[in-house]
Amino acid sequence: MSGVNTNYLYLIIFAILIGETDIEVNLFSLNLAFSTYASILLGLAATKAIMIAMFYQHLKYEPKSLSTWVILGIVIASILMSFSFLQLSSHSFHYTS
Amino acid sequence: MAERFSAVAKRWLYTTNHKDIGILYIITALFFFVAAGLLALTMRTQLSIPNNNVLTAEVYNQFVTVHGLLMIFWVLSPFAFGFANYIIPLQIGARDLAFPRLNAMSYWFYLFSGVMMILSFFFGAAPDLGWTLYSPQTAFEFAPTIGLNLGAGALILIVVSITMSSVNFLVTMFKMRAPGLKLRRMSLFPWSILVTIFMMLYAFPSFLAAVLLLYVDRAFGTFYFSSIQGGSLLWDNVFWFFGHPEVYIVLFPALGIIADVIPTFARRPLYGSKYVIGSLVAAALISFVVWGHHMFLTGYGVITDKLYTVTTVAVSLPFDVIVISLIETLAVAKLRLKAAALFTLGAVALFIIGGITGVYLASVALDYALRGTYFVVAHFHYIMVGGSIMGLIGGLYYWFPKITGRMYNESMARIHFIVSFIGFNVLYFPMFLLLDMPRRIATYSPDTGWGLLNLTATVGGFIFGGAQLLLFYNLYRSARVGPPAGPNPWNGWTLEWALPSPPPAHDFDTIPTFMDDGTIHFGSSIGLPNGSSHGIGEPNGSSVGHEYSSIHSEGLSPWPILMAFSAFIFFLGITIGKPASPQPVTYQPFWPLIADGVILGLISLLGYSREKFNVHEDTNVESWPFKQVPNMKLGIWTFLGAEVIFFGVLIGAYFFVRTASPTWPTPGTVFDIRNGFAMTLVLLTSSMTAIMALASARAGNKNGLIISLLGTLGLGGLFLYIKAGEWFSLGSSGVFNTYPLPATSYFITTGVHGVHVVAGMCMTVYLLANALKGKYIKGDHATLEHFGLYWHFVDIVWVFLFPLFYLI
Amino acid sequence: MAISNMQVQFDNLFWLFTYLAIAVSVVVFGLMVIFIIKYRDRSGSSEPHDAPILGHLPVARGHARTAILTVSLSTIILTVLIIGSFGSIDTILSSPAPCNIQISHSVTYNCSVLVTGHRFYWDFNYAGFPNRTITGAPSCQQAICIFAVPQSEDIRLNVTSADVFHNFGVIAFKVKADAYPGHVNFIWFNAETIGNYTIQCYELCGPGHATMIATIDVMPLGQFVSWFNSTIVQ
Ligand code: HEM
Ligand SMILES: [Cu+2]
Ligand SMILES: [Cu+2]
Repeated sequence: MSGVNTNYLYLIIFAILIGETDIEVNLFSLNLAFSTYASILLGLAATKAIMIAMFYQHLKYEPKSLSTWVILGIVIASILMSFSFLQLSSHSFHYTS
Repeated sequence: MAERFSAVAKRWLYTTNHKDIGILYIITALFFFVAAGLLALTMRTQLSIPNNNVLTAEVYNQFVTVHGLLMIFWVLSPFAFGFANYIIPLQIGARDLAFPRLNAMSYWFYLFSGVMMILSFFFGAAPDLGWTLYSPQTAFEFAPTIGLNLGAGALILIVVSITMSSVNFLVTMFKMRAPGLKLRRMSLFPWSILVTIFMMLYAFPSFLAAVLLLYVDRAFGTFYFSSIQGGSLLWDNVFWFFGHPEVYIVLFPALGIIADVIPTFARRPLYGSKYVIGSLVAAALISFVVWGHHMFLTGYGVITDKLYTVTTVAVSLPFDVIVISLIETLAVAKLRLKAAALFTLGAVALFIIGGITGVYLASVALDYALRGTYFVVAHFHYIMVGGSIMGLIGGLYYWFPKITGRMYNESMARIHFIVSFIGFNVLYFPMFLLLDMPRRIATYSPDTGWGLLNLTATVGGFIFGGAQLLLFYNLYRSARVGPPAGPNPWNGWTLEWALPSPPPAHDFDTIPTFMDDGTIHFGSSIGLPNGSSHGIGEPNGSSVGHEYSSIHSEGLSPWPILMAFSAFIFFLGITIGKPASPQPVTYQPFWPLIADGVILGLISLLGYSREKFNVHEDTNVESWPFKQVPNMKLGIWTFLGAEVIFFGVLIGAYFFVRTASPTWPTPGTVFDIRNGFAMTLVLLTSSMTAIMALASARAGNKNGLIISLLGTLGLGGLFLYIKAGEWFSLGSSGVFNTYPLPATSYFITTGVHGVHVVAGMCMTVYLLANALKGKYIKGDHATLEHFGLYWHFVDIVWVFLFPLFYLI
Repeated sequence: MAISNMQVQFDNLFWLFTYLAIAVSVVVFGLMVIFIIKYRDRSGSSEPHDAPILGHLPVARGHARTAILTVSLSTIILTVLIIGSFGSIDTILSSPAPCNIQISHSVTYNCSVLVTGHRFYWDFNYAGFPNRTITGAPSCQQAICIFAVPQSEDIRLNVTSADVFHNFGVIAFKVKADAYPGHVNFIWFNAETIGNYTIQCYELCGPGHATMIATIDVMPLGQFVSWFNSTIVQ
């Protein structure tokens, strides 16, 4: 990871991040179904997050043990989160007034 | 005399030595144990006969709640972590914890949080709705006293303490083990602490988020938990997602102690220790998917009910393996029934009863009748008092000679055990039979027929409580006049027994080494007070045998306690404010205290970061799997992991209120997309400048570094400027009335994120000051890099918040 | 004595659990006591060959088969308990058909009741008669304060709360349900023995929690019909 190259890399990543953000704000004009629209947005956000983590937080260049540690943590966390979300949405609500 | 006093005071207030801090934890935990125990005995007095009026219902409810909260948060874990602090660095041959000052800070946060909890009695009323803090009772409307605010503040502080110390222990145990001490070779106590820390890291951020939302609901009249659209369920879920792991968090360290003490006194190695470790790990994992068993009666349908019955029953399997292994260890043994052995064996017996009755409660069908009754109270006291407290007391007798260098009075200790064991069962067994009586009731009428069993329990309570006087008397006296204990009174194999009792401040003279053939080399200092020769008899003299740095003798720092104190008065200022108007609630915090807290906090932060406090990192230690990762970096990443859960819960809460609420504004109508877009651009750019700062530092380019840091700071400021503008315009547009739930989730989530940005900017200022002095460009850029990790994380959070709040 | 169908079912299951618990305890505690007595340190007992000592890692011992055996045996016992529990929960969570009680020639009643928790009393509304509210305060013993149900009918309760989290429990019937705002919970029972039973709150809801008590009166059908006619239908 020596000087010039990485600076280039950082700039490219930056450009991609901005580009994705542009897509995000203009996506509504495609008039997609809500669930498609939301999934694409969250997918884009996820790729942005991954790029920041990989390059800006240089996880890509860390020893395997550390990146595994982080990834494992996130995976477990997201499994747990989705559990709780499933669980929450399994309740039905009755609106009493 | 006065000088001596001030020297002693300084030592205990400023210490960063793991042994001192361990002692402080143990003593403080015992203090809270007595306080919470007295509350319990008063409750038992009230319940001894029907229609009693020793306590009013109002006071009874406060006592129940504070008793439970204190015992769970301020007694069980801290008691165990006192031992962990004292013993684990010795057992793994580390010279201290990875971050000694952070460790001291954890302790002081713990102490002040407990003080705050108790203070709540003096501000209207202490929390009075059960340690489970069910919503919507926590809403201002139903709990209008300031006491509950203080309680929430206290919980926030202790979660901060716990998070700091779990990161600390994790890095220590992963990175600083003696050469040759593979994870697999650690004994059960360190293993149990390791597993506990993992659960803490996943469970406590969820709780922190929950308490934060609770507090904000109260202070600002927001609607997370008070909304009719499922607020109660939201609390139930986030609370128990934390709550079930929490009950294992308070149990596991005691199990670890039990599994180390029994083999020592039985003179046989733990039977199947591999399977015991595996079982701990398995139980910890499963503990995160059983929380629904606390919500069986909320009515979520037969499939979910059955699923949670199965997972909960499954979680009992690892415990079966543990119990059988412990019993099997006794076979063909030479069991010395000293007090520590008696207490740990007694703990196993009581834990078995607690575990079996837990299976009753796991059955959704039985829970339909048992839920909320004294059967539950009996069950969890068998686990928490019978298993944990008895096991921890066993640990206290076990390590007392090591810590004080003196022997306690054995026969008094045995009497203590017998009376405690009998008292315990007289106290709690009747509660199993009270399976019709609702828990947390302040009184009951005579025609219920519950009088006799209650009276029995009360008698047992006083026997059990009184028995503890023997413990305190014995230890207090023996610490002064007990006969010298010698280094290894129990003939234990773990490393702490190789040191003199009490161990010298710097622990081992030379790092012990674990050889492949299973022998352990201690240098020449085994059992010798202040052994002074180094490296003799070491297998490879170059890698072992260097001297410990002198951090211990000089390791005094005033900043941890000051920092904790400023957090304390800051939270005090926030929480004891008066409600300015009840409807809608607006809080008037107590500004002078807040200002003091901030100023003091900044001073101590500055002092903390400028203090020369070198912690030497060894390179030759056992640190699988994180060989090439510096301690600090591992710590930061682990901390960020906890942050992920924290924000995950906030975002989860947002999803929840969103799905539960019948309407939601279309994107662009309330939250202006242009604002969000602008803030996203600003923050992404600031990430770019942050990484450029690191690149410049690496390249030795001072100007580039300074410019990039200035850019980061400026962009952070710009972000906050736009955000503030948005907040003010939204706030004045009355969005809370038109869209209460969207506004609530928006303000809280972006507010918490904003606080993170502010913290990042403070760090940037500090970095800038150093950079101007020419730091970071000579290969010493680690701090800069760590800041970057944090800053990019804050950026990532926003990357998700932007679409969630502005676009969807 | 059979008080309600749920109570009979609970008792059976509870005793199944308890018999197995006793059996397991006898084995486990027996083993523990025998070992402690037999292998305690006596003068002349010799140090085991693999005794852990300072300076050596303890010898690894123990067989996978013990762990496997433990898990298998436990699984068998637990499976029995799970099957029993599933049977019961299917009953608890089933929804029985509405009854059809002829109150008068123009009025029928379907055995459904809306129960609402308040700080600190319970309200009962019989389905189809929303304007007639029974308020079950403990101090009140008049007809209008007593929640009456017919004997041997499937009574269906919809349970909710008007303010905080309560739990509606008729402990003699072994029937309970959380009562919290924004949600209507469903439970049912079939009361088999005539008499008065206590309704109590099983979730801490404030200072009045201990006295959040009401009475449920199980009546023979005829008596219920006349009570219903005079108190609910007006
Ligand atoms: C002198 C010994 C003790 C006595 C007499 C005692 C008694 C009680 C009583 C009467 C209650 C109220 C039960 C209810 O109404 O729900 C209670 C609750 C509780 N106790 Fe203890 N207890 C003792 C020790 C402990 C210990 C050592 C712990 C934990 C390590 C503990 C943890 C709890 C918890 C978590 C609750 C639940 C509080 C709540 O419902 O919010 N207790 N105890
Ligand atoms: Cu649980
Ligand atoms: Cu209640």
